[in-house]
Amino acid sequence: RSNLQRQGWAMEVVLGQVEQLPALLAVSQSALVRDWDSLTLDRALEWARYFQHLYDRFRARPQLREALGRRLRRAHPYPLLGFPTLGRCPQLLGLALLENRALPPAACGRLLRSLLQPPSAGTGPEPRGLALLARRKAAACLLALPGRPPRRLPGPEAQLQAEAQLLLSRLREEGQQAGEAAGQRRWLCGVLEQLPQPRAFQVVAAALALLKQGSGAEQAGDRDRDGSILGGYQASAAEDGCTAGLLLSWLLGNQERFSAFCLCLPCSLLAFLAGHYSQLSRSYLDLLTSWGSHLLYDPLQGLWVKSCLDKAALSWEELRERFSCLCQGSALLKEQTQAALKLLKTKDGNFQVCGLSVWTDLLMEV
Amino acid sequence: MAQDATVPKLNFGYWLDKAIEWGQATTLESQKDVCLHLPQLQEFLHQLYEAIKHSGSTVAIQQFPLIGQLLGRLCWNPFVIGYDESQKTLMWCLCCLYSSEPQNAVELKANSWIRSLLCHLLSSSKWESNEAETSTFISALGYTSADYYCHLVKNMVVSLVTELRENQVNGLNIQGSVSASRVNAVSIFCVPLITLPDLTPLLETLLLYHGGSSKEILSSEFLEAVNEAFLKKKISLPESAVFSLWLRHLPSLEKATLHLLDQLFSVQLNSLEEVACVMKDSLLPQAASHPAIFRIVNEIFKNALMETDGTSGVMTIIQVFTQLFLQAHQNENKQHKFPLKAYFPYHHQPLVRGLVRRPCELPTTYWSQHLKHISDMLKALVEDTNVSSLTDLFEIWFLVACFGEWLDIAAEQLLKAGVESDAVLWLLAFYYCPKNENQQRTQTMVEAHAVYNHLMMLFSCTELSLKDLEAAVHRITGREQCWNQCLTTHLLTNFLLFSPGGHKIAQECIYHITKTTDTSKEVYNLLIRTTYRFNHSGEENQKTVKLLNELLQKLTLKV
Repeated sequence: RSNLQRQGWAMEVVLGQVEQLPALLAVSQSALVRDWDSLTLDRALEWARYFQHLYDRFRARPQLREALGRRLRRAHPYPLLGFPTLGRCPQLLGLALLENRALPPAACGRLLRSLLQPPSAGTGPEPRGLALLARRKAAACLLALPGRPPRRLPGPEAQLQAEAQLLLSRLREEGQQAGEAAGQRRWLCGVLEQLPQPRAFQVVAAALALLKQGSGAEQAGDRDRDGSILGGYQASAAEDGCTAGLLLSWLLGNQERFSAFCLCLPCSLLAFLAGHYSQLSRSYLDLLTSWGSHLLYDPLQGLWVKSCLDKAALSWEELRERFSCLCQGSALLKEQTQAALKLLKTKDGNFQVCGLSVWTDLLMEV
Repeated sequence: MAQDATVPKLNFGYWLDKAIEWGQATTLESQKDVCLHLPQLQEFLHQLYEAIKHSGSTVAIQQFPLIGQLLGRLCWNPFVIGYDESQKTLMWCLCCLYSSEPQNAVELKANSWIRSLLCHLLSSSKWESNEAETSTFISALGYTSADYYCHLVKNMVVSLVTELRENQVNGLNIQGSVSASRVNAVSIFCVPLITLPDLTPLLETLLLYHGGSSKEILSSEFLEAVNEAFLKKKISLPESAVFSLWLRHLPSLEKATLHLLDQLFSVQLNSLEEVACVMKDSLLPQAASHPAIFRIVNEIFKNALMETDGTSGVMTIIQVFTQLFLQAHQNENKQHKFPLKAYFPYHHQPLVRGLVRRPCELPTTYWSQHLKHISDMLKALVEDTNVSSLTDLFEIWFLVACFGEWLDIAAEQLLKAGVESDAVLWLLAFYYCPKNENQQRTQTMVEAHAVYNHLMMLFSCTELSLKDLEAAVHRITGREQCWNQCLTTHLLTNFLLFSPGGHKIAQECIYHITKTTDTSKEVYNLLIRTTYRFNHSGEENQKTVKLLNELLQKLTLKV
């Protein structure tokens, strides 16, 4: 029994230490570092390495992982930290300190030497990790240079894809933590607010698309052997379902937001997503319905026009294009779309002649 | 090498000028120029670091007043940063220049500048203006620029690979969707990044890319650099990509072959298993399944042999290579195999077919007959038809020499099987003395007969002394023609290995021979070839194997 007690006590010590991580990260980004000397800096880096060591030790042990994760959050609910943060600690700390102008020269000199200089006593992966980072940044520059071709290839560009992959990676980590849903939604909201809205929409759309394509995020994580820890593990279908659910609840939870989302993105992408996410297809069809019902027929021009010059509405051509895209999707989606249109046509009076019901006309064209 | 501080100083101005030049020009020519200079630049930076690492920042700046300019410009050149380890050395240099205790405003300013530069390199400081939104988002997620760029580079590689592959599938270059110049540009921009593991899929795709034009699209700087990295084992590529590289870029193939020869000569390899291992690693025997590659490698080996005056070491290596090539060729898919004629276009095909048969494919009882068959064909070629020039004779000789396994078996069969066969003896005589303008070969044949008869008489004796073998030994230690010497050595060594009486005096005899002449390399090579052969064929006679090992041990110490 005393062995168990000792283990329990040792665990408590570790948990207490882990509680300090958020504070450490916060301080490293604040002006408080102006009082640091090289010894303090050494201690801070030691702590970071220790946290990484904890990560390595416990990553294969789910109960301990959860306990540590819970303790991290208890200390500091926002930004939502988790067990994987422990693994990234040396880099988080190192880069934050590097950027912090308040760090005095003596401590900074020490920081540079620890981070960048050749390891004489083999201090571990940090120096390698940062050199690789610099190299990759240059690589990104080089690979983009040789004259961009016209974008024939569908799919998001590399930067967008990377942001989406990281978002997914983080959400999957969250999924592992089993926190309460409301908190997660709030967190997701806050994170996505960091981006201007069009970009946020693109990232979320890309993330949802990736979930259905078997993303590169797992591959990147698994093969990454350097210091950057991306929580590389095979997400199960259930976990992916949770992640998707979270993203969709953000999208669909706010009507204005969803409307803006649908206006912003190309119809082919929306059709793809609608084909894979049934809640999305339903909401999307509802939205299209409401937009369509705002169109009026102008007999003089022989066209359907918008009833109000509201930017949050579609023109006839745009509406038709969207329905077309939907019908080019999977068989199920096509069926669903045509069924919806037929139903609307019927409700509207089941006219066969054009010019009387927008649904009739649409059905004729798609 | 002198750790002379003046050495980098001499080049400092040169590199500073280069850095300025590269910064201003954005043409493909200047970018190619950067690529060409990257290895030397890395070396220079390393020397620079060595010069300043213990100096402290003030002394360093006194020594190299313009060092700030140089480092600053280089840090903004992605070719330099992307290359191999240059970014590391640059960052180390920057660390050296940082003052932990700044004494004046200048040093403070320098410190600040260094930090900005490092932040630029490591991309943490709000990540440049066009990435500001991304950086806050990534930070909010709890990731760093390291994570972001990891994904970004991989995505870009995937995107480029897809673009290139799609173009391949289409076959035709429709609407110039991927123009040759674009592929060329991509290959140049990849040069610094070759050793970055993320790039391997792109390297592979480029190497396998065929745009449909007859000219080479990929830049030669790229092909050379990939070859270098592969030879130094800094990257690993799938075989098909390596073969493609060698097929499209002859200098790379030449370099690879010479590199292999270097490797084999620089280290004393104790067994042919090791040699075979090194060869297989180099991928050359497998690549030689392409006739074009085989013929070029063969030429290079031939030249190496001529340059070294036909030393047995080189010959042995060529023989091992040929064996590995045959193995690889035979293991290949039936559909993709080239006919033998493609590899040996100018030779008498029946002779080729005879030589290409591997001993393990025939029952041992048939070996003598097969050797006679080869010998007869060879004799016919050489003696009866007028072999017009020495070159032709050499080519035939070289062909036979490549399949040296049969020659070793010939000597063994002569002694073991006791089959009196003129033909087989002639084969050996030809190998050691192909020329016959002054009847050298005929004479050699006479000598060979004499030795052979002498040895066969002693074959069944169980008690032998060195004196009994004196006639043979004398032919080796006396001032004989070297071909006679070699032939006799070959026969004698086989005798010692395979006759019961020979075992007992083997050590003594070999020692005597190698002490007084420079035949130790010959004997050594013969012994390791025999060991290799036995390991593969499973020689039953344990005593022979044991003796071989003992002899080799003694010789290895000597050689």
